[in-house]
Parts: sequence; structure tokens; C-alpha cells
Amino acid sequence: MDKPQLIEHLNASVNYTVYDTKWIPLSAKFVVLGSKANSQGVMDIYELNEGELVKVKTVEKKVAFKCGTFGASSLRNRHIAIGDFEGRLQVLDMERPELPVYNVKAHTGIINTIDAIGGNQVDCGAPEIVTGSRDGAVKVWDIRQGQSPVVDISPPPQMGDGINQSSARRDCWAVAFGNTFNSEERIVAAGYDNGDLKLFDLRSLSVRWEATMKNGICGLEFDRRDIPMNKLAVTTLEGGLLIYDMRYQHPTKGFSYVEERNAGRGVGTNGVISGPKATVWVARHLPQNRDIFLTGGGTGSIRLWQYEYPDKRVVEDADGNKTGVAGTLHMVSASTLSSQPVHCFDWHPDKLGLAVCGAFDQSVRVLITTKLNVL
Amino acid sequence: MEKRKTLLEKYNIPLSHLDFSYVETCKNAREMEKIVQILRSGEEGHFPDLQRCSEEKLKKLKPDSKLFRFEEPIQRSNILDKQELKPVLDWTHDIKSKDNALNELKNDMACLGLDVAPMRKPAKIDADMPSTKKQSKPKPAAPPKQPTTTEKRIRSTDYNKWDKYDPDEEILRMELSEERTKEQEELKNRPDPKPTPTSEEISKSEKEALHERLQQQLKKLSQVEKEQFAEKHRLRGNEYFKAKEYESAIEEYNCAIIYDPENAARAYNNRAVSHMKVKNYLAAISDCKACLQMEPENLKARLRLADASYAQGFRRESLHLYQRVLELQPDNAAALKAVELLKKQLGELAPTHATRLMIEELKPDASDKPKEKPKEVTTPVAKTAPVAKTAPVAKPATVKEYDLAELVKPNRVVKSKLVTAAEALGNKFKAPPASAPKKQTQPQPLTGEASTLPAMLRMPQANIKSSNKLLIQEI
Repeated sequence: MDKPQLIEHLNASVNYTVYDTKWIPLSAKFVVLGSKANSQGVMDIYELNEGELVKVKTVEKKVAFKCGTFGASSLRNRHIAIGDFEGRLQVLDMERPELPVYNVKAHTGIINTIDAIGGNQVDCGAPEIVTGSRDGAVKVWDIRQGQSPVVDISPPPQMGDGINQSSARRDCWAVAFGNTFNSEERIVAAGYDNGDLKLFDLRSLSVRWEATMKNGICGLEFDRRDIPMNKLAVTTLEGGLLIYDMRYQHPTKGFSYVEERNAGRGVGTNGVISGPKATVWVARHLPQNRDIFLTGGGTGSIRLWQYEYPDKRVVEDADGNKTGVAGTLHMVSASTLSSQPVHCFDWHPDKLGLAVCGAFDQSVRVLITTKLNVL
Repeated sequence: MEKRKTLLEKYNIPLSHLDFSYVETCKNAREMEKIVQILRSGEEGHFPDLQRCSEEKLKKLKPDSKLFRFEEPIQRSNILDKQELKPVLDWTHDIKSKDNALNELKNDMACLGLDVAPMRKPAKIDADMPSTKKQSKPKPAAPPKQPTTTEKRIRSTDYNKWDKYDPDEEILRMELSEERTKEQEELKNRPDPKPTPTSEEISKSEKEALHERLQQQLKKLSQVEKEQFAEKHRLRGNEYFKAKEYESAIEEYNCAIIYDPENAARAYNNRAVSHMKVKNYLAAISDCKACLQMEPENLKARLRLADASYAQGFRRESLHLYQRVLELQPDNAAALKAVELLKKQLGELAPTHATRLMIEELKPDASDKPKEKPKEVTTPVAKTAPVAKTAPVAKPATVKEYDLAELVKPNRVVKSKLVTAAEALGNKFKAPPASAPKKQTQPQPLTGEASTLPAMLRMPQANIKSSNKLLIQEI
């Protein structure tokens, strides 16, 4: 067989709910963030060791952890930024996790999602962390700034008696940095529970573009954070997967996209993918090839996709406006890992095909994907 | 309760279509998909042969149909051979040492003070604000309007002014201002001239500034980090290359080479291809040479070097280079084909043995430029382009030739047959040792005997030609 194959290399069962898994850059270690039954936060560090998983360290905190990222830390310090269930953002040194390097009450609700940038890249602007929360706000943090965000993207305060406030406020489910190819440009994409997708330009401090999906947006990722926007993967409830070509923005039509409605569909009989539609929780692009990405679905499925560019990526319409042309999506490989949703996934930044993922069945798995280089 | 529709009814396909003869002749992929779905569902009964037949037909009509998406059971790592798993284990070993190196670096991080970009000024974006297009409306409208309204506001009791008030004029004015705002809006509406990564938009000075900054950063980084960044840039270059954005790819490879010049063979090699794609063959040639200097056995680089030389018009040189590819891989189809073609093009009785070829080429040249180019066998025919490149290298090389000639005895045949010629030429005529060409020319680091021979046979005197030829035949 000369196509990629997904292989479960190792797995570890844990006694808490896993919420996020992340590789520590330039190491064979990964971090598992989760919540214990008594809603205490857990951070475990595992290491690959001659074909087995060794737990190196466990850190427990009062509040359950939701999400984490290494994007804003340099290769030398490798601090993890964590968002928790009570809206606190903290940056931890793995060696000395007891005392956070940075700690701020960022949101009034749970921090659903986090992304960071600027640590590993040279010449790509300040290291910043963006958080999205149930309180509807998206905030950008610079740990040098102190206790307030550098950019606060909140919905306007609600008018009226506040009875229906919670329902009127949007819940931010996904955030992603992108377009950071020099020290000024930077874009934050945010996805909300009502299917709103917004693109905030941090240079001009404005809303660059917005669109509405049919379903709530669960996952967002630019294929690369540190290049001029190229593609944006959007995953939604009910199995939607959209890949936007972000290179050309038409003044009225916006960005063009290719949609796959069955990305979350589970397996039916005889291995044919004809099961029920399910949420696509996450999309993660391969660090070594931006046109390959993996999605994790609500039926415990993982799907490996390849995006193919069209022959011409841009066409001019009668008014001389440029419109992007979306490419096509191919499902390269498909498998089911678990009976529960696979909701977090992380490719190893330095090793092609190595990945770690977490599912709601209280386990983490290390996957190897073979023959990715043939694509 | 209403009975559920069968797929047959849903798709509105007559039962008679579930038939071998129909399936054979069906041209409609969409209909074929429906038929396959009906057969797979088993609602109309199980017909394994018919199903297989229609699936095959569908595969012909629409190979990428979604009906062919199958899920494979997840495999355990024990299905992998030890050999396949070994790279992963080796890698863990590798990465651990890097990890430790980084951990040690952690401590001296404070004193280094890598320059980090300055913090941005705290700001707010209103999330519910419509995107820039619509948002631009209130902004430009507000400043011009406010002064007019405050100035012109007429109090309700100020009857004098109301007498002078001309509603038509006001309406006209409002329309004008509206138009103006519209125009401004349109201006704003145009998508920002986003600096796409193409090099023409990034001015040269900017690029240089970037490279300078990289150089500065470089001093502060450890080897591990350098490697890491270089690899990152190289991979990004590959991506741009795949997306056919060659200029950006070249830019990324440049960065990769700056970061880690010692291990940049692959980056050079890749940059060479990108240069070839943008038809910058001279740059491609020099990149291939740089790569070959680091990895002399690199087949791809050799082949690319030959291709680039050919494309640039150095045909004789490229013939030789293709033959060097064949040395490494005798059955390389591309090289074989190119050699054949070149031999035809060059229109000579190209000898199979490299040494012979060299000599024949030299003949026409012997009279006009005898000493200047001890290395490039084929250059005389290949016009002037390569001369410009090799000229600076050539001079020191000739000096070497004098020194080293003493050390190596020419071929015995040569000596015996060419006594007179040898006298005439003095030691200049003698062959330099095999190592000489290696040093003088990076293009053909491995030329070995092939290039030494012509050097030895390069004669200043045209009158010796005939005897020279004799000698060659002897060889």
C-alpha cells in the first residue's frame, strides 16, 4: 500500500477527562490537560521512551484546565499557556509549575479555546496569546502587559435588564491566529456557537471580514500562522468542514471555499462511511505539509484530508475584482479511534507523522501516520 | 404511520435499471452512484455480482466518488516492522539530546536577551461591529457632518435665519455629502493591497534588511535553534514550491541557508529547482554546485546541474554532466535520454569513452585559447557564458598546474609517442595531478581522470595537433 496509514502506536488511560494534548516543542514529551471528577485541573507530562509512554510529571491545580498552547514561548523557555474553566489564563514553567510565570483572570466564563504565536518565529511580531471564552469575548494577551489584554474584542455590553443576557451573548468556541508574516500584520479568526465566523485585523484594529456558517463553529485553524493567509479550515457541528482560500478577498463575495458536509460522518456497515452525521471537533494541519490536515469527529473518527489547489487560484470578474478559486478535498485515509469524540489532536512539530490525540473516553493516544511524504 | 420510502422510490429509478445490461451502458455517474447505493442498501435484495459490476462501472465513471470512501480499522504499531518503527525510536533518542541541550540553554537565556518585538498598544475591537466595509460608513461620515450640523443648526426661535433657509439647497448639499461618503466607502471597500508573498512587492531593501536582522539573530542562537529554524524555512519553501510560488520558495530557502549554512545541501538543492522553474539557470547551476560540494554523491543535484547547464545553453558541458550522472546511476532514464539527444545535436561522432570526447572538442580551440582554461573541457564551444564564471578560478589554477606538474608523470603512452611535442611544450604540457581540478573547480568536484586528461593535452602550439591526435587514438 502506498497511501498513508494511520497507526495507533501507544495509548494511555487516565482517570480524568482529557481536554487538550500538546507536544512540547523539540522534545519527545507531550502535555495532557484535563479535569478530574472533582473538577480539579490536571496537567500530566508524558514522554516517549523506547516504545512506551512514561509519565514524567503530574501537576494539579484547583481549577480544571481546558486548553493550552506553546505558541508564544520560545524554544528556550517552552512555557505553556493554559486557559481554565473559570476564565483564568496562566503561563506555567514546566520545571516550576507551582508558581505561574503569568496569571490573569482573563474572562468571566470558561476559556474554551486558546492560540498563541510569536514565540518560535523570528521576526514575526510580539509573542501573543489569544483566548476565546463563553462570555463571548476574544482577548489577545501579551504577558509583558500586566493584567489587561492588549486587544479586547468583546461584544458590546448588553442593554436592558439582563434577564436574557446569557442567551444573547455569543459563546466563542474557536480562535486562531494567522497572517503573521511580518512584525505588523496579524489576524485573529474567531468562531462562535451561532456559526458566526469573524476575522479581526489586529493591525488596523477592525473586523476584516465575517461570515455565518449553518452550524456552530467548533474548530478553526489557518494552514500556517506565520505566512500571508493562505487557507483557513473551519469545522462545525453536524459534520461541516469548510476550507476557505484566504489569498484573495472579493469586495462583495469575500473568500471562496470548498465545503465537505460529511466530514464528521461515522462509519456505517462494511466500513463504508455512511453513518450518522457528527460534529467535527478539530482540524489540524500537518506542520510539514500545509495541504494535508486531519479532522477529529464526534463518532471517534479521524480523517486525513488532502487539499488540492485549482489550476488557477484566482480569476478576475467583469469588474476587475479578483476572486479566489477554491480547490478540492480528498479523503486520504479514515479510521475510528474511539467510541467517544476525538476532540484534541496535535501533530509533532518536528517529526513527520507523529501525533498525539485525546478523546472523551479518558485516554490519550500516540499515533503514527506512515507514508505522509508520498502525498 | 407512513411507510418509509425505499431508496428506489426516493431516487426515482426504475427497477429495470438494476440490471447488468443497463449498468454496462449507463453513462451517468450520478445515476450510477444511486444504483450502487440501492444495491448496497440491500433493500431490493442482495446481488453481489451486480453490485460488484456496478461498483466497477462507477469507478470508471467517477473514480473519486464519495461512495468509495472506506474506513480502515485502526492498526496497532505491532503491524509495523521493526525497521519501520526504528526511525521513530531513533528519533526519540535524537530529540532527547536536543531537548537536553535546550534545557541547558534555558539558563543563559536571561543574559542573552533575544530581541522580541515590542508590545502592541492596548486596544479594543468591537466584535459586533460590522466588517470594515460597512463600518467605514459612520467613520468618515461623522467628522464632516458634525461641524456642519453644529454650525448650521438653527434654533427654532431664530425666525430671521429660518427665513433665509433654502430647503432645496440643503437637500442638494446633503446629497453631495452623501455621495462623498459613498466614494470614500468605495475606496475603503477595496480589499487592502495585501502584500502577497511575491518578491516584487517586498522591495529589495526590505529583503536585505530582513537578512541583516537574521544575521544578527544568528549570533545569539545556539546550533539546535539554528537547525530548527533552518529546517522550518526549508519546509516552508517546499510548500511554496508545491503551490508553484517559486519566488517565495526561493526566499524561504535563502533564509534556511542563512540560518544553517553548514547543513544547507538540501536547501541549495531545492533552491536550484526553484531557480530552474523561474528560468534563472545560472543561479540554479551555482546552487547545484554548492549542493554538490557538500554532498558530492547527490544524484538529484547532479542531474539538475546537467539540466540547468543544458537549459542555459552549455550543451557540451551538460553532456559531460549527464555522463557523470550515469556514473552514479547507469540506468537513469532522463540522463540516458539527454545524452542521446545531445550526441545527436552536437552532430559529432561522439565517442563512448569520455576521454576521447574531450580531446576532440579541444581541437578547434587549441589555437585561440590554449592556457586560459585548464578546467573546462567543453567551454570553448559553449560560447562565452561559462568563461565569465570560471575565469577568476582559472588563474590560480594555472599556477598550480606549474607546481604540480612535476609531481605526476604523464601517461607512458603519451611520453613515448610525443617526445617532440613534449619538448616543445615543456612541463606545461604535462598533466596535472588528479587532485588539481578538484580544487580549482567546484562544478565538477569528482571529475577525476576525465578532466585531467584534457588539461594535459591542452596544447599551445597548433602544429602539434596531428601528433596529439595520434596519441589520443593510442589511448
